[in-house]
Amino acid sequence: MALVQEGSTRAFELIYDRHGGAAFSLAYRMLPNRGTAEDVTQEAFLSIWRSRQRYEPTRGSVRTWVLGIVHNRAIDALRRNVVHDRRRASAEGLEEREEAPERTELEAARLQEARSVRDALEALPAEQSRVLELAYFGGFSHSQIANMLEMPIGTVKGRMRLGLEKLRNGLEGLVSQELA
Amino acid sequence: MTDHQRMRENAGAYLLGALADPEHEAFERHLADCPECRATVERLRPAAEALPRAVEPLAPPPGLKSSLLEAVREEAGAATRPAPARRRSRWRRSLRLTPASALASAAFLVALGVAAGFGVATLSGDDEPRTLAATVESREIPHASGSLSIPADGKEGGILRVSGLPSPPRGVYQAWVQRGGEVLPQPTFEVGGNGVGAVALPEDLSDATAVMVTREPRGGSRAPSEAPVLSVRL
Repeated sequence: MALVQEGSTRAFELIYDRHGGAAFSLAYRMLPNRGTAEDVTQEAFLSIWRSRQRYEPTRGSVRTWVLGIVHNRAIDALRRNVVHDRRRASAEGLEEREEAPERTELEAARLQEARSVRDALEALPAEQSRVLELAYFGGFSHSQIANMLEMPIGTVKGRMRLGLEKLRNGLEGLVSQELA
Repeated sequence: MTDHQRMRENAGAYLLGALADPEHEAFERHLADCPECRATVERLRPAAEALPRAVEPLAPPPGLKSSLLEAVREEAGAATRPAPARRRSRWRRSLRLTPASALASAAFLVALGVAAGFGVATLSGDDEPRTLAATVESREIPHASGSLSIPADGKEGGILRVSGLPSPPRGVYQAWVQRGGEVLPQPTFEVGGNGVGAVALPEDLSDATAVMVTREPRGGSRAPSEAPVLSVRL
C-alpha cells in the first residue's frame, strides 16, 4: 500500500487483483444488476486511487478500507436511484451470478471465512439479522426499515445494536484474525 | 431520555450506514465528546466490518480491470502507458472442470475437431493486424457470419465480430479460446436485433489454436455447455 501511496500504478493493480473480487461481490450483492455493480466497483477503485494518501494502516486492513468505500458507493448509488424495490434475492440476478472458483489458498480461506460469517449471521434471532441485512446490504435507512417492518424506529435501532453485539460474539476469533 | 441515551442507540445504525446524513453528522459530533459511545462503536465495529465478508465470492467481470487501470494510468499521467492488463492467468486458473463439464468440453473439442472447411482467410502479414473469417458450425444459423481481428502478434487478444446470430431465448453467447487441450473461457456477449455483436477477447492469441462461440447461461460458464455455433481456426 505504501507504493500505491507513492503513486505506483503497478502496486495499485496488485491491490485490485487482491481485493477486486471481494469488492465486486459486495457491490453485486447490494445492487440490482451486474452493470451497476461494475460501475460502482470501478468508481470505488478510482476513489481509492484518488484518496490513497488517506489510508491509515492503524485504522484497519486494506481490505476493510476497500470494502468500506465500495459499501458507501453502493449506498450512494441505491439512494441516488431511488428505485428501492429491487429485492436482491430476486431471481433476476441470481442466475447471472458466477461463483468465483477457488484459485488459491487465500481464496479457499475466504470462502471458509464467508461461510463462518454467514453462519454467525444465521445464528442471530431472525428479527436482528433481518435489520442488519436490510441496512447493510439493502442500503435502507433505519426509518425506511421501520416503515417496511411497521415498527418504531427505536426498536429498529435497538435491534441493529443488539444484532451487532451478538454477531461480534458469534465471530469471536474470526474478527481478530482478519484475512489480509 | 437524555441526549446521550438517545445517541447511544444510534451506534448500530451508524456502523451499518443506516443513519440519514444529518443524523450521521450529529452522531459523529457526539462521538467526539463521548468516550462511552466511542467505546461502543469501537466494540461493535469489527462485527459491522465482518458483514461484507459474508458475501459469496464472485469473479469480477474481465473488462473491469483493464478499464479501471486505463483510467488510473491516465490520471497518473503516465507518459508511456504500459500495455493494457490482461486477465489471462486469472481466467486460466479459473478453469476447473467438473466431471460433467469435462464431458461437455470433450464433446465440444470433438465437435470442433471434426468440423470441416474452416474457411480461414488471412488478409495480411504476420506482424500486421489480421482478420480471420469464422466458420458457422451450427446448421440452425446458416446465415450467420463472423470475423476475428487480431492486432499485431495477438498477445493482446483480439476482437470477434459476428452477424446474423439469433438472440438465444435464454442466455448469452460466450467466446472461448482453445490452446492445445485447454479451452479458456472468454467474456459473454449479446447480439442486437439485427444479430450483430462483438466481443473483445483478452486472452493471448499468439499460440492459440482456435476461437469459438457457444450459447451459455447468463453470467457465462467455466467450460462450454454445448458444441460451438461459430469457430475460427488460428
